This record gives sequence, C-alpha cells and structure tokens, in this order.
Amino acid sequence: MHPRLPFRRAARACCLFTGAVLAAASFALMAGAQQSPPTDLVFKNATVMTASHGTIEHGAVWVHAGKIAGVGATVDAPATATVVDATGLWLTPGIIDPHSHSALDGDVNEATSPVTPSMHMIDAFDNRDKALYQALAGGVTTELLLHGSANMIGGQAVVIKNKFGLDRDAMLFPNAHGSIKFASGENPKRLYGSRDQLPSTRMGNFEVMRMAFEDAKAYMATWDAYNAKVAKGDKDAAAPKRDLKLEALADVLRGKLYVQIHCYRADEFLTEEAIAKEYGYKIRAFHHALEMYKVADKIAADQTAIATFADWWGYKDEAWDAIPWNAVMSMRKGVKVALKSDSNDHIRRLNQEAGKMVHYGGATEDEAIRMVTLNPAWIIGVDDHTGSIDVGKDADLVLWNRDPLSTYARAQKVYIDGDLFFDSSLPGLGTTHFSGVMHDAGGFGSDDEGDGQ
Amino acid sequence: MKKFLLIALLLVAAPAWLNAADAPKKVIAITGGRLLTVSHGIIENGVLVIADGKIAAVGEAGKVNLPAGAEIVDAHGLTVYPGLIDPESNFGLTEISADENSNDLAEPSDEIMPHMHVADAFHAETELIPVARLNGITNAVVAPATNDSIAGQDIFIQMYGADRDHMILGRDVALAMNYGADQRRRGGRGKSEYPSTRMGLITQLRQTFLDVQDYEARRDAAAKKDDKSFKRDLKLEALIPYLKGERPVVIGVYEAYDVEVIMGLAQEFHLKVILNHVTHSQEILDKIAVWKVPVIVGSIYDFPLANERYDAVFTLPAELAKRGVKIAISSADAGGPASSHSARNLPYAAGFAVAYGLPYDEALKAITLNVAEMFGFGDTLGSLDVGKTANLVLANGDPLDVRTDVKQVYIQGVAVPMVSRQTKLRDEYSK
Repeated sequence: MHPRLPFRRAARACCLFTGAVLAAASFALMAGAQQSPPTDLVFKNATVMTASHGTIEHGAVWVHAGKIAGVGATVDAPATATVVDATGLWLTPGIIDPHSHSALDGDVNEATSPVTPSMHMIDAFDNRDKALYQALAGGVTTELLLHGSANMIGGQAVVIKNKFGLDRDAMLFPNAHGSIKFASGENPKRLYGSRDQLPSTRMGNFEVMRMAFEDAKAYMATWDAYNAKVAKGDKDAAAPKRDLKLEALADVLRGKLYVQIHCYRADEFLTEEAIAKEYGYKIRAFHHALEMYKVADKIAADQTAIATFADWWGYKDEAWDAIPWNAVMSMRKGVKVALKSDSNDHIRRLNQEAGKMVHYGGATEDEAIRMVTLNPAWIIGVDDHTGSIDVGKDADLVLWNRDPLSTYARAQKVYIDGDLFFDSSLPGLGTTHFSGVMHDAGGFGSDDEGDGQ
Repeated sequence: MKKFLLIALLLVAAPAWLNAADAPKKVIAITGGRLLTVSHGIIENGVLVIADGKIAAVGEAGKVNLPAGAEIVDAHGLTVYPGLIDPESNFGLTEISADENSNDLAEPSDEIMPHMHVADAFHAETELIPVARLNGITNAVVAPATNDSIAGQDIFIQMYGADRDHMILGRDVALAMNYGADQRRRGGRGKSEYPSTRMGLITQLRQTFLDVQDYEARRDAAAKKDDKSFKRDLKLEALIPYLKGERPVVIGVYEAYDVEVIMGLAQEFHLKVILNHVTHSQEILDKIAVWKVPVIVGSIYDFPLANERYDAVFTLPAELAKRGVKIAISSADAGGPASSHSARNLPYAAGFAVAYGLPYDEALKAITLNVAEMFGFGDTLGSLDVGKTANLVLANGDPLDVRTDVKQVYIQGVAVPMVSRQTKLRDEYSK
C-alpha cells in the first residue's frame, strides 16, 4: 500500500479564486472554443522529436483533418494551412500514460473478490475529473484507465483520449483494443488475508488464478459442446447460461484481451509467464516491474513489455530492490519499456520522468521520449494510431517551451486529433473545450485506492 | 549466490564508513569547475581548496594559490555547488514505509508531544541516506510525521559519518507543529474525544502554552527556594525555549484560513515561526510577506483545487520569492510515494519552481543557504565560502535538471563513496 501523500482533499467551500477563474474560463471559451479545428495546420521551425525516427531540428509537421499528413525538414502543406510558428519550441507526440486510475471517482478496486474480470472501468469513468485537466496541462493525450491491484484478476480497462471538456463518449479512444488488469504479490494477499480469505499468500494468489482459468476452460467446453450440437442441427440443444465472469476469463484465454499485470518481483514475473504459457495467453506488460532488471533477458524473449516507475522504491517490501536504472537496464536487454504514473501527481510530468532516464543509465533522448509515447502506445495497443509523429497517425501533439526532457519544460499547447485542447497562454484554465465545474475525487490516484486498507 | 555476493559487498563497504569518521587532514584542490557559490555568484573557471574538512579558498583559476602537496581534482566540464540541504525529511525514521516495524515517524497518542526527540529514533545507518546523498544532498532536517499539533523536536544532520553522534549536527533544532484538518484526528468531528475540531485544537494549544508559562514560573521559583521536591514536567519543559523565541517553530499548514488562525496564535506567544507548505494560501501571500516569516513552500506537487488553474501551486515559490519572502523547498512529497525515499528528487522540485517563474538563484538558495540560515547553520553550511564546512557536489551539468548526473559528493571534505544499496544491486546485475 502506498503511504498517502498529505495531499489535501479539495471538497471544501471554495475560495475567492473560483469566481475569477470561472470568469476567465468563460472568456477563454469565447476566445477559442467553439471554432472547429482548421483542416490544415502546419508547425514550422520546431525541434520535432518524432519518437519513431529521431529528432528533426527546424522541422515541420503538417496536420490534415486531424491526422499527420507530413513531417520533415519541409512539408507539402497547402498555402491555406494555418501556420504555427514554433521557432525555439519543441514538438513531441502526446504523452501516453499506460497506467492511470484517474477520473474513476475512487472506484478503482472492486475489492470484494480476488477474481472480478467482468468489471468494466468505463462504468466508473468520470470525464469531468480535475485530474484529467491537470494531466492535459502536462501534455497527456491518451491514458489507459486500469482497475486497481487488489484482485489477482481485476477488471477491464478503458482507453481514453484526454479531450477534456467533451462528453464521455467523445473521450473514448475509438476502437481501442481491450485490456484486463491482473495483479500479484502483496496487495491481493494482504487484502484477502486480512479477511481470512483465500488468498493470503503468494501460493494462494497464483492458485486463485489457475482455479479461475480451470472454471473458464470448463465453461468454454460447455459452450463448444452446445455449439457443436447446434451445428449438427440439434434443435433441442439447451444453451448454457451466459456468465459474465466466465465469459471475460474465456476472452483472456482466447487472446481477446491484453493482459496487464501489476507485478514487482523477479520470481513472480517468471511464475506469471509460466501460467500464461500453461493456459495459452500472452502477457502484454508487467506494470511496476521494479525487479525486471534481474530477469530482463528471459522476459524479453516472451515479448512482454514493462510499464515502470522511473525511481520509486521502498514504499513496501516488494519495492525494496527497486533501482532507478531498472528501465534502461531492462531496455538494453531487449524489453520494451514505458514509464507510467499510477498517480494523479506524476501524470502531470511524465516528460521529466523520461528525462531521468538520461541520468539513470544513459538513455538517449530518443529512447527516453519513446518511454512516454510510442512504447506506452504499444502496451495499450494504440501504436498504429498514436505515439509518434508519423504520417497517417492521429495528430496528438504537444508543443513545449524547452526540451521536454528537462526539468524546465512546460507544455504550451496540446492538440488531440489536430484539435487544440489546452493552451497555457490563454487566461484562466487554458482549456478550449471545457466549461462548468470540475469534479474532484480526492486521493492520490494510485493502484491501492479503495481497497479498504 | 547473488545474495552472498551482496553481503560480501556490504562487508567490504563497512570500513569506509568508519574511516569517514575523522575529517581528513589532507588538502584537496578542485580545479577548472563551474562554481555555483550561491552567496557570490558563479565562477566559470574556478578553484576551490579544501583543508581540514573546510573550504580554505574559493576563486577564479589563477587567483587562488594551489597549496603545495594538494590533491588536485580536475573538475573541467563539471559544475561544483554546495551540498543540498533538505529542510524537511524523515531520514532514519522509516525504512520500508508499509512495514510498521521500521517506522518511528510520530507518536500519535496525544496531540501535544513536544518531548518527542527525533534524535532518540534516528537510525543513522538507514539505506535511504546513501540513496539521497548520491544526488547531492549532504544535510537535512529530520522531522517527525504530521499527525500531532506538536509532533516533537527536529534534528539537523549531515548525510555521512561514522555513527549517529557524528551525523547529528544539532539536536532539538526546531519544534515541529501542524495545524489543519488532519490533526483533528481524535475521531474527527462528531466523535467523543476532545479535540475533535479546529476550535478544539487551537484552544488546546493556547492552554498548553499558558501551562508552559505557568510551569516555568513555578520551576524558577522552586529553584530559587532550592526546592528539591519540584517534579520536572518534560512535556512542558520542552516548550520553554520555543516560547522564548530561542529556536524556530516549523508550522505545517496548508489553507489560507488555517494559516491566519495559527499565525494569530503564534504571534500571541511570540513564536519564531517558519511556515511549512501553505500550498492553498494564494490569497494571503502579501500577508505572509508582511509577517516576515520564512516559508518552506510546497510540496510544489500538491494539487490545485478543482477549477483552479493547473499551475496554481507550481507558481507559489515564485510568487512568495517575488514578495521578498525567504523560501526553502523540501523533499517532503518531492515526487514519489513516500517522502524521504524520493528525497533525491529535491533539486528537481527546485528546478520545477524555476520552470514556473522562480529565479534560478533563488531556487538554488531554497535548497542550500536559505535552509542553513533558517535552522541556524548559516555560518557553516549552504554556500561555497571560505571557512564553511566542505560539503559540496560535482555534477556533469545543471544540478536542478533531471538529466544531470552527480559525479562526486564531498562531506566534511571527504570524497564520499558513490555507493548505495541500489548501486550495488545495479552493479551486481550488470555483470
């Protein structure tokens, strides 16, 4: 369990500020919000960090109808294009967080059973949470909102585009691949052990998973038998009952869901991979993965990525061997590495967490920026659409005042699908599509939220 | 096998700790570096001489005599700056946050616990100190956690030394106080134990301070009469130097309305205040300037309220400094799940304040000289000046940038081994 930061819950009678902020916000709304984005948009003279093919000094990016239409020293944009002079500025893909629990109003863990695969995080998504706004101001354009880590098999994630101010459905990432959250280690055994339930040990943890998959296999066999009867023309065949939990587990075994596993220890990565092989699914990524540096060569062979912290350690036993060189050491062994927040705080400055990788292990700037853009996009399964500045991808872009890997960088403008959603130069909030009142779920936005501990 | 190797490494490392106990007599000259003196600007091609663990000379190359026999450290391409000082940490009071047996953070049995001495719990051999030291932190204030209205008395430490006595530079250097919603914990509002509200907390504090004044008078009267039967009250006695304004009281408080209330009480009893946090006090910054109290501002990462601009807290260090307030920046919550595990991020918190308008010089002062001055070590620490303790850092770039790598840390003139439990794990698994 993370010790809580003494961050203050903000559900309180508001201060003198609110009136002024609201007035400023409505001004901003009038200034820019209701216009539709230009069909053609060109960024000129930027330092373009593409994340896929290096950095282009004095580069240009052309956006057409929300997609990237050109990138290079020059681009063939029409003369009618709206030009953004980015002299002295940096342009990167939007920052992508592959591990967030923001905007769920605290409903992170359905901590009533260690196996809850039919929970869907979309049902808890609150699109007006202030954490989304604060992340947007930090350049975050895509998030994977995950179930917490209380359960060995948690719920199914929702992928959002951070179009803060639009309605809920407009914020969902279109046609994103499904993901399901698994967990392991201290959290499930601590929680259920404290209730005198299974699991209370790591032995129990893993056996709970295996038993769940045996249930799913039996369920699938029942359906297979029924379908076979129907195929043979048996009109009297009785359909088995649909069971949402077993359906979801069957989807894991059918490979329909990316498996995202909260896991810290080297031995547990190996056990998880062995169970995945035994039951025939693949693990998309280990999350936290603080001991990956110990077994990275083995996990690289399984093509499982990691979503890790830059430098967190020591907050619990299974984080005791964490080292800040983990990400780069694992990357050098062939593991695809992303950095993630698991926090409403760090999500606001993932670019700096990437910058630390230059310090801890000597990542190149190209490798570092990829850890918060293209690599998390792969973990989520949206790398065909976003995560790098390449022709044909969504125009999810951030304009920075400084090298985004430095401490001093501020996101100045954030575009999603070619549309401007945040502009720090605007008075008030700097939002272009938001009006009204934000919600505040309080808390730190971490894995353990609401697990009753 | 690997475990055995690690244990072996630890055993080998142990004598280095012991050797560090005595500040070396040897003379070291660090040449060619970019010196950020903090007190008198930047010297681009500088020379700094260390002798007897102190800074013996600082100046431009060519203008400083290199003592005969000095060990020359070539610092060309490196930036040299005073060791960073963390104004609020819990080093040595915790090891693994979730493991309660390793925590000695606060004594929550009562709100008023001034007789808790951090020095009694400080675990000098904690693994957290080398980890933070590797990023250039050489000194720190260690304070109890924030559960209590009066949580205890802080220590001021040096981040290297043979043992506790060598590392604690000052015992009971400040009183740790807190005020706000978090301290009304006696079950909170609607529960049966006093104090359950902020009215209760303030009244309890005021009565305590009156009790101290009364106790002091009775104690002095008993001393005059040589009355041996007078029983010392350690709790009340602990507060006497603070009520006399002899030592600072660090008050952790967040909201503007709470700041105003606790400052009223502090002024009533003439406390020497250092404000801590004030992250939701934007509307009274001018008042804070008028009070002329120093402020440990932050965490800069504290969240703005809903519908507040995203940078409402990011800009706070700049806004305070602009008003002439002496500020410090602490590692408490400096970017991680548990404060002092993440203390190595202290310089980045200061750098982030620069991103949002704090002048660079002020940011560096906020984690060096200003902290030393607030806690009574301004004469010996916090800048590259002749006569000060030779606590300094050599890094390959700007100390406030996340990309910068610290190459060497000196404490009391000793080149500290750049080793932590984490570097040992790194090296072991890099073979």
